[in-house]
Amino acid sequence: MNLHNQLDPITRRAFCERWASAALGVTVLHGLGGSAFAAEAAKTTTAPSGPGFGKAKNIIFLQMIGGMSHIDTLDPKTGATQGPKAPIKTKADFQLGGTMENLAKQADKISIIRSMSSKTGVHAAGQYVIRTGYEQRGTIKHPNIGAWAQHFLGSSHKTLPSSVCVNRQPQNGNGFFPSSFSPLPILDPDSGLQYAKNEASPEQMIKRLVMLEKLDAGFRDRFQTSEVKSYTQFYDKTISIMSSTDLEAFHLDDEPAALKEKYGKGKFGQGCLLARRLVEKGIRYIEVAKGGWDMHNNIDDGLDEHGAELDQALAALLEDLKERGLLESTLVVLCSEFGRTPKVNGNGGRDHYPKVFSTLLAGGGIKGGYIYGASDKEGTAVADKQASAQDFLSTIGWSLGLPIDEVVMSPSNRPFTVGDKGKAIMELFA
Amino acid sequence: MKTRLCLPLACALLITGLQADNEVYRTWTDAQGRKLEATFRGIENGNVFLQVRNGYVYRLPLDKLSAVDQQAAKTLKPEGLGIPSDPNLAQAAAQIDMLVEAGLKKAELKPNPLASNEQFVRRVFLDLAGRIPTREEALEFINDPSVSKRAKVIDRLLNSEGYRSHLFNYFADMLRMADVAQKARFFTYQDWLKGQIGDNVPWNKIVHSMMAADGKLLENGATGYLLRDAGMRLDNLSLTLSTFIGANVSCAQCHDHPFADWTQRQFFEMAAYFGATETYGAKGNGNGSMPGIRKMIASLGDKKLQQQAKNLMRVNGLAVEDTSENDLKMPDDYKYPDAKPGDPVKPKLITWSDDKNKKAYQGAQPTKNDEQLRSQFAKWMTSPDNPRFAMTIANRMWKHIFGIGVKEPVTDLDDPNASVNPALLHHLANEMVRLKFDLKQFLRVLCNTQTYQREATSHELADNTPYIFPGPILRRMTAEQAWDSCATLVVGADVDKYKANRGATYAKAMNVDFSGGASPEVFKQQLENAIASMRQYGGKAAGNPKNNAKKKRMANEEEDLTMKPPVRNGLVLARASELPQPEKDQHFLRMFGQSDRQIADSESEEGSIPQVLMLMNGEAQRVIGQKDSLVVQTATAQKTPEQQVDSLYLSFFSRKPKPAELGEAVAGLGNGMTMQDLTWVLFNTREFIFVE
Repeated sequence: MNLHNQLDPITRRAFCERWASAALGVTVLHGLGGSAFAAEAAKTTTAPSGPGFGKAKNIIFLQMIGGMSHIDTLDPKTGATQGPKAPIKTKADFQLGGTMENLAKQADKISIIRSMSSKTGVHAAGQYVIRTGYEQRGTIKHPNIGAWAQHFLGSSHKTLPSSVCVNRQPQNGNGFFPSSFSPLPILDPDSGLQYAKNEASPEQMIKRLVMLEKLDAGFRDRFQTSEVKSYTQFYDKTISIMSSTDLEAFHLDDEPAALKEKYGKGKFGQGCLLARRLVEKGIRYIEVAKGGWDMHNNIDDGLDEHGAELDQALAALLEDLKERGLLESTLVVLCSEFGRTPKVNGNGGRDHYPKVFSTLLAGGGIKGGYIYGASDKEGTAVADKQASAQDFLSTIGWSLGLPIDEVVMSPSNRPFTVGDKGKAIMELFA
Repeated sequence: MKTRLCLPLACALLITGLQADNEVYRTWTDAQGRKLEATFRGIENGNVFLQVRNGYVYRLPLDKLSAVDQQAAKTLKPEGLGIPSDPNLAQAAAQIDMLVEAGLKKAELKPNPLASNEQFVRRVFLDLAGRIPTREEALEFINDPSVSKRAKVIDRLLNSEGYRSHLFNYFADMLRMADVAQKARFFTYQDWLKGQIGDNVPWNKIVHSMMAADGKLLENGATGYLLRDAGMRLDNLSLTLSTFIGANVSCAQCHDHPFADWTQRQFFEMAAYFGATETYGAKGNGNGSMPGIRKMIASLGDKKLQQQAKNLMRVNGLAVEDTSENDLKMPDDYKYPDAKPGDPVKPKLITWSDDKNKKAYQGAQPTKNDEQLRSQFAKWMTSPDNPRFAMTIANRMWKHIFGIGVKEPVTDLDDPNASVNPALLHHLANEMVRLKFDLKQFLRVLCNTQTYQREATSHELADNTPYIFPGPILRRMTAEQAWDSCATLVVGADVDKYKANRGATYAKAMNVDFSGGASPEVFKQQLENAIASMRQYGGKAAGNPKNNAKKKRMANEEEDLTMKPPVRNGLVLARASELPQPEKDQHFLRMFGQSDRQIADSESEEGSIPQVLMLMNGEAQRVIGQKDSLVVQTATAQKTPEQQVDSLYLSFFSRKPKPAELGEAVAGLGNGMTMQDLTWVLFNTREFIFVE
């Protein structure tokens, strides 16, 4: 099966006509992306079942870039390992790192995996694995959960993309799937989706688009590579988005000032607010990234800034989703490429530590106030129920109702599964 | 290129199968009856250029040839790429071609035909100068009847301002060069690297300088490499090894490498070379420990001033120094039997033995003096005898202009024989050493190969299919190439003139002697001056060239583009290399994939919906289509609609329109489309953003 071929553009004539109507705003046609795959999803073999399967309709994937210290956030320790702040009590029967004051009040909504372990202490490699479940090898690109979901479940919205990534580039989130599965990047949530309005009049725009088709035809005929085709798909999708009536999904200014304040005015807080807004509008998968975690030096300063930003935004997000009745159908996860050393180094920081670290899950059928697995007393190794990035991602896939054992062949004819044969952790589901 | 062989000769070549399909050998005879089997490369100024099988090109006076051959030289069509700049260059290029063609033959593939002049000129401008040629630059090349024009334009571009800018962009991505790191501005580091590239300092010297640099960032930009990762020497080393010698040791930072040979112990032994290097809270210089300075700062009165003084001290404290003792210890979780956690680590270099018959490359053994550890490492790493150092930069430069490395990823050369063409990879490494790490010469050789001057590959490459270089691959422009090309459309070749030169200004403003050498009065004065000039680097104005440019313009009222870039609709039309590193999130550069400079080699060529929205409705298309844009002015100045369309095509694509395209575009102009509409259309084609 060649996925790219299935998405070959429709005939040029129909294409122009569709563009014309899209630019005029007369008709809104469905995007190219999902249809072929929605059909395919329908014939998916009998769905597995079990606790939590398919409970989540949406995923908010919060990825901390740089290696979040698990000890100062989700898996607090005392004694020499403790770090700048003592653990604090929470609404659940476990403690959190001293910086997580707001999250502590939402602890009844979250599960924490304290027994994550990974093989790599390198940022880029670790970020790739926790996002896709696969190691970077050769030129193959692996899909994120959003792309997998689009493959199995079809598009989540008729004009908007099914995946959005906030504060980060798409970084091939579509993997080996077509570029229409690529997450739409919003690099600055406050600015939202810029340039969505045509300057030219509809008539002028149609003339331009028709001329563009004619003058670029020779080049596109000569170079039928996936890179060129994917650009043509992006133009196609972009034009249909411009006529979408749902673009206010990206307008953060429509949110009440007090709520914006509550999430925190930084890029991450506003990114989380945007994610909630997009969930409401029917976007299935939203990644929000936050950098600043590579705290080799002066971790106390780093936590005051970045830890506090995470704490405020995540707590506000969970509370907001709950209040709106969205938490049951929205799985919020928090992860990072690795943890940080139990020992505070000579510069008052912590170094990379993949051997044991933590991730968080909430909503989407996940238990509240629950701890899965454990690190040892000093936080140096997994003490109980080791879990991998693959297990973590398989759990997310399970929650979304994806057939995580189903093998999908890439265009280069190699077999892949959601979460690379990880095990969904059933104990996490209520 | 088109081979025009007479049929019997073509058959003979096919049968022997010894030479590539497009090379036609002929036996040439001089007046004395001496014979030479060679291809005809052209005739210029009464000299005939003949290339023999090993690639060397002989220049023979026409009148020294036999009468028959004189006649042949006047009538034959030149083969290959025309007359090269010098015979050795032609030979070096031909050797690479032979290795590539051997690889193709093994895979039963044929090389692509040679690129047209139009394809070539656009490509070579983008690859060497980082931007498209202007209409005039394209025409000058296309209309040049000379048979040596390809070699000449390569030489010209290698010596252009654009060369420095474009290669800087490549290295800035590789080295994660950011304006702001460690809460200070790294302008001096950027300017230092630009200077090294501009002066064509050999690569081994540039890298040696970065590894061995001493002193303050404000005074020695080369320290920027180590200071970028101050306090993170293990991460820094891991990047150093993968970036410069393609050693994939990163896993070994935490445990023995599961696939390659590196052990964690080896990694730490390498790290020990930086064990006496202090990059964080450098001693004696700005750590605020001296009571005099503390008192001085306390006496500054208002809190804001005190904070500024502290910031200033931190910026001045960014320095690389060597201490007398290597303090590196084994990690706390070290789990192998050959050492205990916390054991001191003695420096030891890793070795290779690709060739079992040759002694592994050892480098010098460490001296007892710990202060010299770093320079020993630098010497070992950058030595021509280090089998990976030359290979890594050779493979990177190959990728820089061919779009894909001989070995991918370029950060992992642990097994060169796993590359698509090991013989080629080893040869490129040897060439880098032979050329003494002169990057300009190396790129000159690569650009003069037939392989480079072929058409881009047009068919789809399946994932994980090895690319054996029938020609360059079709690439999307990098963010910087696209931005610089936009600016070229609006401003023309003058866009290369402006240089930000922020390093000197910043260093002058910020450099204060905190060592206690100055008298309290002088020191206080220095501090106050610096704080006053620091304000321009606070907040949003930071890194914006407008500030400095404005000041300079006061002194020189003329509109001089070396002093001030033009600004249109809020876009500063300077080369990407002279703008903030990286640009802000919403800027064209970032939306088109410029790296955020947090992860090495992370420039992206992905498309996205916001990116396409920007191309369709953003400032760039507006600025390009406005009346004051050069591309519009040039086209408007033409008399007929046909000439206007011609002009636009030459500006955007370095080619004339095909008859059908011309017909459509002219009809469009007659049917209510404006010049702005047409520039919009051409700007939004795939043809514009891809490099053939």
